[in-house]
Amino acid sequence: MLNLGLDIATTAAILFIVSAGLLMVFGVMKIINFSHGAFLTVGGYASVIVAHAGLGWWWSVPCALAVGFVLGMLVERFIVRPLYARPLDAILATWGLGIIVGQIITLIFGRGVQMVASPVDGAVPFLGTQYSAYRLILVGVAVLVALALGWLVNGTRLGLQTRAVIMNEALARGLGISSARVRFMTFCTGAALASTAGCLITPLASVDPNMGVPWIVGAFMLVLVSGSSLVSLAVASLVLGGAQVLVSTFVNPVLGGLTIAVLAAVLLRFRPEGFARG
Amino acid sequence: MAEPVSTLPLARSASSSWKGPVAIGILALVILAVGSVSLPTFLVNNMIRAFLYAAVALTVDVLWGYTGILTFGQSAFFGIGAYAAGLIFTHEGFSWSLAAAALAAGLGVSWVVSRAVGWLAFYHGASPLYASVVTLVLPIVLVQGIYSGGEFTGSSSGLSGFDSIDIPLEAWFFIAGALLTVLAVTAWLFVRSDAGRLLVAIRENESRCEYLGIDVSRYKARLMDICAVIAAFAGFLFACVQMVVAPEYAGFVFGTELVIWVALGGRGSLIGPIVGAMLIDVGSAYLSGNLPYIWTLLVGVAFVVVIVAMPRGLAPVVASAVRRAVPRRRGTAPRPVAFLAAKPREKADADATRPALSLTNVQKHFGSLKVLDGISFDAHAGELLSLIGPNGAGKSTLMRCIADGAERSSGRVTIGGTDIGKLAPYDCVALGVGRKFQTATVFESMSVAEALRIARHRVSPPSKWKRDATLELPQPALDVLRLTGLDRIPERECRYLSHGQKQALELAMVLALEPRTVLLDEPTAGLTKQERTQIGEIFVALSSQYRMCLLLVEHDLEFVQQISSRIIVLHQGRIVMDGGVHDVVHSDLVRAVYAGETHAAENAA
Repeated sequence: MLNLGLDIATTAAILFIVSAGLLMVFGVMKIINFSHGAFLTVGGYASVIVAHAGLGWWWSVPCALAVGFVLGMLVERFIVRPLYARPLDAILATWGLGIIVGQIITLIFGRGVQMVASPVDGAVPFLGTQYSAYRLILVGVAVLVALALGWLVNGTRLGLQTRAVIMNEALARGLGISSARVRFMTFCTGAALASTAGCLITPLASVDPNMGVPWIVGAFMLVLVSGSSLVSLAVASLVLGGAQVLVSTFVNPVLGGLTIAVLAAVLLRFRPEGFARG
Repeated sequence: MAEPVSTLPLARSASSSWKGPVAIGILALVILAVGSVSLPTFLVNNMIRAFLYAAVALTVDVLWGYTGILTFGQSAFFGIGAYAAGLIFTHEGFSWSLAAAALAAGLGVSWVVSRAVGWLAFYHGASPLYASVVTLVLPIVLVQGIYSGGEFTGSSSGLSGFDSIDIPLEAWFFIAGALLTVLAVTAWLFVRSDAGRLLVAIRENESRCEYLGIDVSRYKARLMDICAVIAAFAGFLFACVQMVVAPEYAGFVFGTELVIWVALGGRGSLIGPIVGAMLIDVGSAYLSGNLPYIWTLLVGVAFVVVIVAMPRGLAPVVASAVRRAVPRRRGTAPRPVAFLAAKPREKADADATRPALSLTNVQKHFGSLKVLDGISFDAHAGELLSLIGPNGAGKSTLMRCIADGAERSSGRVTIGGTDIGKLAPYDCVALGVGRKFQTATVFESMSVAEALRIARHRVSPPSKWKRDATLELPQPALDVLRLTGLDRIPERECRYLSHGQKQALELAMVLALEPRTVLLDEPTAGLTKQERTQIGEIFVALSSQYRMCLLLVEHDLEFVQQISSRIIVLHQGRIVMDGGVHDVVHSDLVRAVYAGETHAAENAA
């Protein structure tokens, strides 16, 4: 029972970490960044490179953050910016970017699966049970990510401008806020977050050129039901992630893998705003 | 085909519009027959697959390129057709009757699945993104289902080695090619027909279509059903030829590949996606062996570049190059569509005593904010009723509540004696309400005549395979076209019209619905003085001569005074005055309301 509770909490934490970057981009720019999966993959390979260089695993976090941010700058400037007015095309172009990144990584590293040693090993005793130490750490990381993003959005000048752009872009522009700059920064932050998430999940999953793909759809659905709110995303991760764990445990794992996508699609049919606004 | 050279525009008569596509189709069949015996076996084998993929790509083009429904789910229907054959042949063996059963099962299941998808994805007010999401979830669910089928579905390795229809490869080549040809010619005839223009109208302005009485969601769902069945048929043939089925053919990645081929070839061009699908698929067969990852990389780069820089794909680029290289044949300019007067329809329930429009205690609130509060009034045929009031008084909201049953929070709206309940806009149109929006909404890439024909869709459904040389319109719509000169430019694209012309065209489109009640939201905004006088005369004629009931939202008191037969003053969501023109215009209340002296208004009320 306690194990199940921990499974739900840690799954929700992982989903939150993986989806946060996508939420930033969707919330502000109203486009779905399908290259999110590619950024996850890039983050995963950042930790492979760090491991090859002989550095400790924790070095891969700042590395992934930096690589994701820089890559995000390029992608925003050359692919996303021309497509603001065509949101469905933006989905396609970013998906195409995902293909390109996947192929480039394949050309450099090969198709094979790369393993990264986990920074912390095995299980630790927790509340009278044994549980994976790294998954527990991720819960803390998710809280950190939420706090950092919360501070960024509510505590900084850029965050204030970002909220203005979310609420009323035309008015924000009229007040002298450069919405182009807000979008640029948002996309880079989202990309950096995705890349970091990719590096954070490497101890749990193997690294391969398509490692990001299975995560996209889940993250995408979570973001759609959350609108542009971090709180909604946390709720959605907990509810839908929880449902996924329950179905996987008690029904079967294949259905569990579909839970988020199916529940979210049906939820949106009856409640288009999803978990947002209550 | 020798074209007579003539300086006069040669009439392209309606009967010949199908001859070109059919002739090209027959030519394609002949080429296929020759190709099937003369091409090398390796190529024949690859071309069969490419033909079937192209057939599915064609359905993606109709759904996405023409109608604007971005779908990732056509692969799922292809997979359903393929698995129907694979499962039955593997577990029951092969016989002709079983093959027929497998085909029926494949088409039937994909039709049922498509109905479910349509119910989820298309409803009044659904966002296009949501529809894409549903089509994205479909193949993912299907593939997981196949994975969990174990021995029965062959799980991740699929099914192979089953017996199938035993005919030579050359015959399959012809069958697959013929299927593609028939589909392409049919689709070509349809998208060029008058009925087919509705696809583009939906892509350009879904909301305007709904207010023209077209149940867009239903239309999209039916279109998807047809495309699903076609994709399943292609999948069935695929399984029969290749004698192998695998989860990848039903998967989301294949669904995105279809979209990529359509985008590269040129969405909304039919031929582009066919060529795109075939070139990339046959190209992959030859090149992916030598340059495995580079090939996919190149396709990915080309895809991104095309989406960003050439959203219409390569087809228009090739077409304009051909046009430059080959001198334009003269004499093919289409004859402009002629407008004719439609016979007035029998109005069975033209009951003069019953109000055309009746509102009882209509309320609208957003949370705790009351936008409309206790609105009740009747309006009769022949009345020109103006709604005035300062900004934010709730005038436009009131219009919406009359034209869309789902808008109001409570109260009753009856049109011609029928309660609108929660009816959607297209059903309200059927009851006899036409709504003109505040900002003129027309279909930018369509011609004046095409836009008007879309408006006639509900009353007289147009041809599904040809273009008519004439368009019958009710007299009031013709009057508007004549007065504004639009009748002389039926082929002009809407995007090139002036603001005033767009307003007039939208009004004519609304009148083409033959409404008994017309809602006009600031129809004179942005018009010149002369256009305003002109349009005022039209309104007076509509109410007095054609006995329509007009409900007009206006700011210009002088204009209202000239044309109205009655005026209602709205202030802060309530009716503060309802009466004759003279009484209202000269009341202290109206002056107070317009001067912004709200206290005076409240006291007076």
